[in-house]
Amino acid sequence: MKSDLDAYGVSVIALSKDSVVDAAVHKRRDGLNLTLLADPELKVIRQYGVEHHKAVEFSTMSFTLFGMPLALVPSFKVMAIPTSILVDERGKILWIDQSDDYRLRSDEDMVRQAVREAFGGQG
Amino acid sequence: MTIVTLSGASLLVVLATWIVYFAKVPSGNVPARPVGSILAQFAGIALAVAAVVVGQPSGAAAWGAMVPAAFGLLMALVFLWLLTQRKTPIGDLKVAVGDTLLSFAATSSDGAAFHTDDLLGKRTLLKFFRGGW
Repeated sequence: MKSDLDAYGVSVIALSKDSVVDAAVHKRRDGLNLTLLADPELKVIRQYGVEHHKAVEFSTMSFTLFGMPLALVPSFKVMAIPTSILVDERGKILWIDQSDDYRLRSDEDMVRQAVREAFGGQG
Repeated sequence: MTIVTLSGASLLVVLATWIVYFAKVPSGNVPARPVGSILAQFAGIALAVAAVVVGQPSGAAAWGAMVPAAFGLLMALVFLWLLTQRKTPIGDLKVAVGDTLLSFAATSSDGAAFHTDDLLGKRTLLKFFRGGW
């Protein structure tokens, strides 16, 4: 996936309600090679209208099962609706995909196709 | 014996589905319609109920054997409840295809200042996500 984006010179910026510290922990833990932005005050999330007011979150516990962090205490939090926005060099929005089911993310093939259609002719 | 078997089976069925289902979460490969997982939760609930109905527990030992079934029942209900929470309130999105990115400033995970002006001249995939857990 990353190599497909690299091929078209597309860099990924990911923003969530996590604080700078939480985002740094997340980036290190999952070995993420992209820019993570922190929006703990939900300024950008509200500006873009991607606020999920009562989303279920499981707070992270300190133990893991088969190498997977276990989160067992559910609570309601405000967080971002999973949304992907593809932007060209001039800041123009070329493609948007939003998930109506928080469990699901933009399909990789869909992202790949959107990038190819957007930049294919000029890549 | 019946109680132990049914009670254990209840927890096993539910626990196994949880492991299979949640192992797919980090890679983002959970099924859109987890029919199998849902059926397994109902099977777990049925087994827990069967442990009571068929086994007719009486006495401390028998009720002790019901503990796994209680966990199986609880976990099954949590799983089904979680699925009812899956829909996101889309429709408030403030941007559309063809618009210019709304300008904003934020701080990145390494503490650096970020502004959307930094993106000019670059192709970008901006992703809003729920955050780490």
